[in-house]
Amino acid sequence: MREELLEILQDVRPDVDFEKEQKLIGDGILESFDIISLVSELNDAFDIEITPRELKPENFNSLDAMLALIQRLQEE
Amino acid sequence: MQSNVLEWLDRTADRQAEKICYRDDRESITFAEARQEVRRMGEALAERLESGSGGDGSALEVSPVAVMLGRSVRTILGYLAVVYAGHCYAPVDAALPAERIRSMLDTLRGAPVLTDREHAGVLRQLGFTGTVLLMEELAAGCEKAGCKEANIKEANSKEAEAAGGGTGLSLARGRSASDPLYIIFTSGSTGRPKGVITAHASLMNYIEAYREVMNIGADDILGNQSPLDYIAAIRDIYLPLLTGCSSYLIPREYFMEPERLFDCLEKNRVTAVGWSVSAFTVPAALGAFAEPGGLRLSALRKICFSGSVMPGRVLRLWQTALPWARFVNQYGPTEATASCTYYPVDHPAGEDETLPIGVPYRNYRVFLLGEDGRAVPQGEEGEICVGGPVLALGYYNDPDRTARDFIQNPLNRSFFERIYRTGDYGVFRADGMLEFHGRRDRQIKHMGHRVELDEIETAAMKRDGVGECAALYQPDKEIIYLFYTGSLSPREVILGLRESLPGFMVPRRVKQLGALPKLPNGKTDMAALRERMR
Repeated sequence: MREELLEILQDVRPDVDFEKEQKLIGDGILESFDIISLVSELNDAFDIEITPRELKPENFNSLDAMLALIQRLQEE
Repeated sequence: MQSNVLEWLDRTADRQAEKICYRDDRESITFAEARQEVRRMGEALAERLESGSGGDGSALEVSPVAVMLGRSVRTILGYLAVVYAGHCYAPVDAALPAERIRSMLDTLRGAPVLTDREHAGVLRQLGFTGTVLLMEELAAGCEKAGCKEANIKEANSKEAEAAGGGTGLSLARGRSASDPLYIIFTSGSTGRPKGVITAHASLMNYIEAYREVMNIGADDILGNQSPLDYIAAIRDIYLPLLTGCSSYLIPREYFMEPERLFDCLEKNRVTAVGWSVSAFTVPAALGAFAEPGGLRLSALRKICFSGSVMPGRVLRLWQTALPWARFVNQYGPTEATASCTYYPVDHPAGEDETLPIGVPYRNYRVFLLGEDGRAVPQGEEGEICVGGPVLALGYYNDPDRTARDFIQNPLNRSFFERIYRTGDYGVFRADGMLEFHGRRDRQIKHMGHRVELDEIETAAMKRDGVGECAALYQPDKEIIYLFYTGSLSPREVILGLRESLPGFMVPRRVKQLGALPKLPNGKTDMAALRERMR
C-alpha cells in the first residue's frame, strides 16, 4: 500500500520528496489543488471516502500520516 | 472630498478610535493604533529615505518602496507607512522564487526594500545592493524617540480624547489624488512581470463603488483570502479605512481545510467576503456541502467572487448552504483597479450556467470595440474596453507596453480620453448585461491568478536540456500542461520551473515528447497537443 500511495503522490507532485517531508501542509508544500486531486485519487485507489472532517494537516502532513488515514478509513 | 487613502484612515480613527481595524491570528489593532503606527513608522521611514541613498534618483515626485513581508497586519501597516512617507508601495511576496523577485526588483530599478529579519535573507541571496529597511529597526527608531510599545495604548486613548486636534495623518506635502499609491505585479508574456501602477483616486473610486454595490458598513467583518500582494486584497485593506468595518486575515492553510475555514468564519462572525473563485470551489470539491447542515455558517451574508468563471454547480452548493446570502459575480483586470463590472446573482444558479459579468460599476465606462476600432452593435462580440477615472497610470518602467494597452478611445475624436484594452472579449445581451467570451491570446485565469502561458514557455526554454515546448490549459480541471522535447526528465523540468515561477504557474502535468506535432506552416499543432491532454 505504501508503494501505491507513493506512486500516486509522485504523480500529483513529482517535485516533492514524500519520503522526507513531514510538514506537507504546515509548510505550504501541498497546495489546495494538490489536495483536491489527491483526495479524489486516494478515494478511488483505496476505496475509501475522505470527508471534509478528515481534511486536517495532521492527516496529510506526511506519507505515514496519509497511510494511517487510509488504513483507518478502510477499517471503518 | 478626500484625496488620499490616509485621509480615510484619519477620518475613521477620529470617529471610532477603539474599534478593531485589522486582525490576524496573532494580533488585532484598533483604528487609533493603526493611525499611530502608520505615523510612527512612516516618519521613521521618511527620515531613513531622506538621509539614505534610497530611491532611484529620478525626478519622480512619488517613487516606489518594495515591501517584502509575510501575511500579517504589520504588512498592511507597512504599506500605509510607505504612503505616509510620501512614496508608493510595491508588494513583493517573499515566498516567490528568487529569480522572480529579482525580476520585480529590476523593474523597480533599485527602489528601497522594506522587509523584516525573517524575510531579508532573500535579498542577501540575490546580492541586492540597494537600501534595505527593516521593520524591526523602524520600531527601534520609535523606541529611541520615546514611543515605546507600552506607551502606545496610553497615547492612543489620549489621542482619542483629543480627536480632531492635530493628531491626524493629513499630508501637506503637495500630495494629489492622481499620485501613485501602489504598484502591483501581474504575469507578463515576455517572462518579466508587469508592474501596474495605480493612483489614490482610482483606488478610492473603486472602493467607494464596491462599498455601494456590496452594501458594506461599519458593522461588517471582512474575511480576507487574497494574498496581500495581490490586487483583490485592496478591498480588505481599504474598506475598513473608508467604512469603519474590520478585516480579518484568514490563515492561508485554512482554505485547504473546509471544517477549520468554516469554524473560523463562524467564530470571527465574518459577514462579508470577496474571494477568488477557487477559494469557493476548493471547499465544494472537498465535499464541504456533502452532508446537509454539516458545516454551518450563520453570519456570512455578503459574498463576492472574481478571478475566473464560477462553475454553476459550485455556486448552487453555496447558495443552498447560505440561502440568506447575496452573491455577486465580479469582473475586471488589475489595470482597471480590480474590477469594472458586477452581476448580483438574482436566481438559483443552474448546474451548467455561465453567469454574465453584468454592468459597469459607477464611474466605470465599459464598452466593446470591433477589430476595426469601431463600436460593435448589441449582440455582437467585441474586445472589452474600460475608461473612466479608475484606470491605472500604466506599467511601471514600461512605456511601450503602456502605450499599446492604454490607448486613446478611438470612438472619441474630440478630446484626449484614455481607455484600457483588456484583451478579453464579450457580448452585451439585450438586457444590457455583459457576457464574458474569453480571450484571443494566451492569457489564462488560473486559481484566481492571471497567467501568461508564454511566460511559462519562456521560463522552460531557459533551462538547458529543454528543446521546444508548449504550455496549454485545461480550464474545466484547472490543470496547466507542458509538452516539451529535450533531455531533462519531467521531474527536472518541474524542479527547474519551481526556481523561477510562482507555484500556481508551475504546470501540473509535464510530458516529454520525441517531437512536438507541427502544422504544415511549421508552427506547433496546438489542437493535436490538446488531444493529448487527458
